[in-house]
Amino acid sequence: MSRLVWSVFAAGCLLFMLTPLVILVLFSFSEDRAIAFPITSFGFRWWRELVDNNAFWPSVRHSLVVVSVVGAVSTVIGTLAAFALARLPPGFAGKCIATLTLPLMVPPLVLGIMLLSFFTQSGMPLGLNTVILAHLVFTQPLVILIVYASLVGFDYEMVSAARDLGATPARAFRTVTLPVLRPSIIGAALVAMAISLDDFIVTFFTIGGGNTLPTFLWGMLRKGVSPQLNIVSSILMGVTIGISVIALRVTRYRG
Amino acid sequence: MILQPRREWLLAPSTVVFAGCFAVPVAWFLVLSFFQIKSYQLSTELTAMNYVVVWRDYLDSILFTFTVAICVAVVVTLVSFAFAYYIRFRAGRFGILLIFCTLITLFGGYLTKIYVWKTILGSSGVINSALLWFGVIDEAIGVFLYNPLAVVITLGHYLLPLGVLPIYGSLRNVDETPLLGARDLGASPWRVFYDIVLPQCRVGILFAFTLSFLFSVGDYVTPLLVGGPYTSMLGVLVQLQFGMRFNAPLGAAMAFTAVMLCIAIVGIANMVLERLLTARW
Repeated sequence: MSRLVWSVFAAGCLLFMLTPLVILVLFSFSEDRAIAFPITSFGFRWWRELVDNNAFWPSVRHSLVVVSVVGAVSTVIGTLAAFALARLPPGFAGKCIATLTLPLMVPPLVLGIMLLSFFTQSGMPLGLNTVILAHLVFTQPLVILIVYASLVGFDYEMVSAARDLGATPARAFRTVTLPVLRPSIIGAALVAMAISLDDFIVTFFTIGGGNTLPTFLWGMLRKGVSPQLNIVSSILMGVTIGISVIALRVTRYRG
Repeated sequence: MILQPRREWLLAPSTVVFAGCFAVPVAWFLVLSFFQIKSYQLSTELTAMNYVVVWRDYLDSILFTFTVAICVAVVVTLVSFAFAYYIRFRAGRFGILLIFCTLITLFGGYLTKIYVWKTILGSSGVINSALLWFGVIDEAIGVFLYNPLAVVITLGHYLLPLGVLPIYGSLRNVDETPLLGARDLGASPWRVFYDIVLPQCRVGILFAFTLSFLFSVGDYVTPLLVGGPYTSMLGVLVQLQFGMRFNAPLGAAMAFTAVMLCIAIVGIANMVLERLLTARW
């Protein structure tokens, strides 16, 4: 009896989590105008319309620029910070990390509006630059957390062994430290990219004019429900899921 | 371990980003919340009037927002705990598959998930059209969308994976030997659960609660898209002050009030959990 209750509950949870995503993808291949059952015909009609949509491609380009710059910069500065933190006494390093992760505790809306207000006040022109700066604030703590976690268990004896055997510091870093840390650094970069690609609220407030994919989606949403929405959503979902699955494989995350 | 040379300067780039794009803007925002708008001009005279206005005119919205957020956080934490418990102790070899599915939905996209619930719950949406198609109802019913329940469902859907993963993370570390030992010594299953299992996942539970609570308080898009006109959550009101109402100082004061209340509530939740879930064995 209790076994049955548990199974029904777990199946319910799973359905609740997955069904909406399945519906989304299903309707992106519907050729109907209305997003409703029954679906009368399947095909690529709305995909073709989206490809011809003039506003779509610039937003893809902007998203690509933001995601790649944010991914690269936050990975580099976050990894450097993690290296410095790993050398500090753990208690002090913990306080530093708590401070640097404060931006994650602030609601995105407050962060977005705060940065908008600050950028306009200081006369900084809004655009992709401000979006990138804003994204760095909440992606770098993630990189720091992930890389620091793997550095805590890092065995520095290996580096000193390499140095004793005559390797230069640069060579020891390249041939010993980096290979050990590579999975978590790549994983951190992918997490940063997935979060950056998916961010809507902060981007919305700091972009000024122009669009990234999520704000393009928002623009369509405000105009009313269009079947193209399902496709943009499915693409965004596919890419973020793809990135995160790769990230999980690379970092060998298990729960 | 041999002492490694310290390399604090490596922290410099992150610190610059943190200071320039977070610490300084926060300071500016705090100062802004003590300014006022007088005849469409920003007056730099310091006053606490904005905070008085927040408590006087927006108390209903604050209470409503925090009630919804606490409901969402409690529901998400309970369901995630039960689901994570099932995965850890009952699902057997399906556990890894369930965790994988949870991970998949984690990054499904924020706007996407809100939008899909709008199309599912809408009056010409998926549920209504499916019910019509199967002949369960004769005409579309509008009860699904534009109410606080829709907000709870949508936020719950977004937050469930974020709640399951930290709780599962802490349940995974629970050693099964003491559980069996306690059972052998005559403890009831409930007692084993309450005294041994629960205290060990306090951190995961607190994490799940805090995450879903903070997210729900600060969310702005969900109430706007599925909440309808009567769901005046704080986020929407804060945004209005910066947009149509043109009263940035009041908006800043609202944001700070909300953040302070959040810190207080998370602190209380932490204390309550510490009191309730202490290890007793």
